[in-house]
Amino acid sequence: MSAAGDKMNCEEYQQAIAADPAFDGGAAHVVDCPACQSFRREIEALNIGIAKAMQIDVPPLQMPDLTNVERDNVVPMKKRSHKLLWFALAATVVLATSIGIRMSGMGQHYDSLPEAVLAHLDHEPRSLVVTNVGVSEEQLARAVPAKYARLDNSGPLITYARTCKINGEDVPHLVMQGEYGPVTVLLMPHEKIAEAMPVEGINVKGVILPVGDGSVAIIGEREERLGPIEQQIVNAVTWTT
Amino acid sequence: MNSSNADGKRRQRFDRLVSVYYQDMFRFAAWLCRDRAIAEDVVQEALLRAWKSLDSLRDDGAAKHWLLTIVRRENARYFEKRRLDTVDIDNLTASQSALLAEAPNEELADLRKAIFGLDDDYREPLVLQVLMGYSTKEIGEMMNLQQGAVLTRLHRARLKLRHNVAQDERS
Repeated sequence: MSAAGDKMNCEEYQQAIAADPAFDGGAAHVVDCPACQSFRREIEALNIGIAKAMQIDVPPLQMPDLTNVERDNVVPMKKRSHKLLWFALAATVVLATSIGIRMSGMGQHYDSLPEAVLAHLDHEPRSLVVTNVGVSEEQLARAVPAKYARLDNSGPLITYARTCKINGEDVPHLVMQGEYGPVTVLLMPHEKIAEAMPVEGINVKGVILPVGDGSVAIIGEREERLGPIEQQIVNAVTWTT
Repeated sequence: MNSSNADGKRRQRFDRLVSVYYQDMFRFAAWLCRDRAIAEDVVQEALLRAWKSLDSLRDDGAAKHWLLTIVRRENARYFEKRRLDTVDIDNLTASQSALLAEAPNEELADLRKAIFGLDDDYREPLVLQVLMGYSTKEIGEMMNLQQGAVLTRLHRARLKLRHNVAQDERS
């Protein structure tokens, strides 16, 4: 199909109309094509029928009993109580002692990359919101600087983008809206791995995939089908380091 | 703000969102599962799930997308749990037939039956476009498909409906 929509043939025009009856391209073609004019009228009429046919009767709302339903723990970090923060801090200290977190310079280094990735996610709960507001091109460009990577942004909607540190290196941290909720993507141009590494959190799962001389972590809800997203991300990323 | 006030406001927010989008939730569920009784169950589960995770919805402007995504997920869960067969259009249960029986005239009944008979892959994007008003880009994001794939499915869905309706008229 031509980008301008002005050099279409009948097949292209009719495909576009059948896919979206509101399609407003191809004016130069349709004005001189009675067959396509007729096709358009037919599809528009069909679409009105489809819309009417889909308006099935809806029963009255019966709200389930919500009184004792526990809410998910998705309170943003800034709203967590001090008590909870102290508890979390104490738990972190115990964990650090038991699994041997090693400290180096300003950043924390973990025994394994999946541990570092999960710890990072836990520190940015505000990124994990459901929204249909995407980040701007400028925000995305700032989060994924050209010196690290080039990202073809034609995949899922990106709703969060910033540069973070993992193992002392800059890591573009993106969040996309998956089928089952937010999906976190960490582009790690400096973390070369030999093979894919599973990431298993309490409520999340994912994978770190080797991509050239770096790797990409993709983590979502347990139910999320990450396969298609993994493929899109791997195809969309090019390292420039 | 004390905790009961906060809970009250949370409940008010939830009730407001549900009152706006309940009809969309039910119709979407019904066209996904093609069964009135199952759609009611799916929506009940979706409401519970939405209540639990309401705090993750930062922007109420995204509520429709969020609620429909929950319905979609609950519908998938429902069928996964029960390992139900796909709908056999020639042997419908009473609850499935109920969806088709309400059409106000024969022409719409035929069209409804034709939509009912579309494969899930074609029916879902069509419902999202025609009934829910989503763009092909938004449908791609919801279904995790490239926009081109959505366009192809929508194009094929309408051609199938056109063909089936023409066939019904001839017979």
